[in-house]
Amino acid sequence: MKRLLGVALGILTAIGGFVDIGDLVTNAVVGSRFGVSLVWVVAVGVVGICLFANMSGRVAAVSGRATFEVIRERLGPRAGLANLAASFLINLMTVTAEIGGIALALQLASGVSYMLWIPMAMLAVWLVIWRVKFSIMENVTGLLGLSLVVFAVALFLLKPDWGALAGQAFAPSVPGSEGPAVYWYYAIALFGAAMTPYEVFFFSSGAVEEGWRVKDLIQSRLNVLLGFPLGGFLSVAIAACSAVVLLPAGISVTTLSQVALPVAQAGGQLALAVLILGVVAATFGAALETTLSSGYTLAQFFGWSWGKFRRPARAARFHMAMIVCLLAGVTVLSTGVDPILVTEYSVVFSAIALPLTYLPILIVANDPQYMGEHVNGRVVNILGLLYLVIILTASLAAIPLMVVTGAGA
Amino acid sequence: MILNDLLGSDVRDSDGGRLGEVSDARFALDGTPGQLLSDARLVGIVVSPRTAASFLGYERLGITQPWPVAQLLRWWHRGSFLVLWEDIARMDPDAVYLRPGYAAYEVGLQR
Amino acid sequence: MRKQPPPLRKPPEVAGRLLDAQLHLLDRQLLDVDGVPVTTIDDLELSGPEHDEPIPEGAEAPRITALLTGPVLGTRIFGGRPPSNRLIRIPWSDVAEVGTVLRLGVKGESLDALWVERWLRDRVIGRIPGGSHDPE
Repeated sequence: MKRLLGVALGILTAIGGFVDIGDLVTNAVVGSRFGVSLVWVVAVGVVGICLFANMSGRVAAVSGRATFEVIRERLGPRAGLANLAASFLINLMTVTAEIGGIALALQLASGVSYMLWIPMAMLAVWLVIWRVKFSIMENVTGLLGLSLVVFAVALFLLKPDWGALAGQAFAPSVPGSEGPAVYWYYAIALFGAAMTPYEVFFFSSGAVEEGWRVKDLIQSRLNVLLGFPLGGFLSVAIAACSAVVLLPAGISVTTLSQVALPVAQAGGQLALAVLILGVVAATFGAALETTLSSGYTLAQFFGWSWGKFRRPARAARFHMAMIVCLLAGVTVLSTGVDPILVTEYSVVFSAIALPLTYLPILIVANDPQYMGEHVNGRVVNILGLLYLVIILTASLAAIPLMVVTGAGA
Repeated sequence: MILNDLLGSDVRDSDGGRLGEVSDARFALDGTPGQLLSDARLVGIVVSPRTAASFLGYERLGITQPWPVAQLLRWWHRGSFLVLWEDIARMDPDAVYLRPGYAAYEVGLQR
Repeated sequence: MRKQPPPLRKPPEVAGRLLDAQLHLLDRQLLDVDGVPVTTIDDLELSGPEHDEPIPEGAEAPRITALLTGPVLGTRIFGGRPPSNRLIRIPWSDVAEVGTVLRLGVKGESLDALWVERWLRDRVIGRIPGGSHDPE
């Protein structure tokens, strides 16, 4: 019974933890401009993150090595540093976006300007990282993040034409109002939102934090294989809500209140309250994960002591690095830059940097020195290679598309 | 000396002809036994005809997965060979010179 | 024009375990005797030979004298050579085990490699309330 509860809890937190500000914004923007014609990208992204998280989790559980240790060891200092610089900057962008997301959600709830919420959001994130145990932090934010199911409920209450939606989703085409370049630009953004590299840094380091062994792999696989697709389903619900309400009204999403509009329209004040709770929990959870990931990547590259299972004084450089990152994120936000805009860029840059983290993991997962008998099987390698091609293509196409479309404008 | 001074140096034979670059240094744990581990003795250097970056060691480890990444990297490092310490005449900052009549060995690590 | 080596032979048998520096030592994580991370191995120091001097026939092979860390990482990335007094050495005689990580047989607390960690702990992190307690 206890074991079953553990499994259920793991899956639920994986669902709640899947959606972050990147998924929220990107799916809502895409829904409001392209309907559900890009849902297939979410599916591709979810399968990809399942594969990728599973591999990095297995490497961490079998060898005890987290992703960035592996990257440094395999790529050497030069390529490793280039990789660190790129990953770290994207991570910092994501930290910034998530803290902005918390503040925007609190503004939606209180009417008080988000700029005033930013320092409080940062302080709260830091306090949790400083004092709260890893497992509690994960479970609480994950479970509260489940409130985002309200998007799925709202979709039912909106009584959409299901046949038309399914037709759009399964026979996708570029809507007449948008050009193909913009369509593909947002396809890459959605892919990047589903497969952000920080999730992998966090997942593999979390495996080390929680002391996974080979016997824990079955549970972790269940968490990933059930939790992430259900999280992906939430993403689709967000896009569908926008597609049903905002697309016909000609509203293209540029603020968080527009993301919330379909839910408010379908379920009124109560639904909106649940939504805000979900957004705060999801962005707060993701802010924790991205801040920790910044610390993890730096510490693992330089070989510092790291981890929340140690008291802060036993991982001083790790904690110092995270404090500096949080302050940097808040400094960026205090310039008045729009957090939604930061989010939109961060998911595209995530897609660009993805091959850097993906390839070393794919290679090490095949190395018997690290993995012993737990090297990748044939099916995983075929899928892994297929995704390597997809990830490389998305990465190479992203910048030209960004230039051509003026970042999707 | 520092290992990094050696890695990436040109490797030349006794006539000054260029053979490639030092891509790695091989040690054996068979020196004087210490308190914990034996001393690590320099066995020789791995010479790669193309590039100094010892990229992931595919040419030495007999790993064949994931196809075709492993095959590509192995191909990139084709022609790598091992030269023993006994056949090294000089180590200058920019080049390693071999003795006349040096021997070249296979680089594989698995026995 | 690049010259070709002579035909490759089978390498002679060696009694001890073989370690290729790039493959098994450099850029691996170093842990102390209690499993606490110390650093990543940035470079290795060898006992010889001197540059620009011919190596006499039958000279004893160089040994690894120390693992190096600190500013030497910068020179591996950007080139150049660190002044030798800036090197942070961890003697090879302290190394107990070589696997996917390297383990020391001594505590990290006294090592020079951890001075930044100690400094930040004593001056900053340890002084913030709660810094020396386990998370709850």
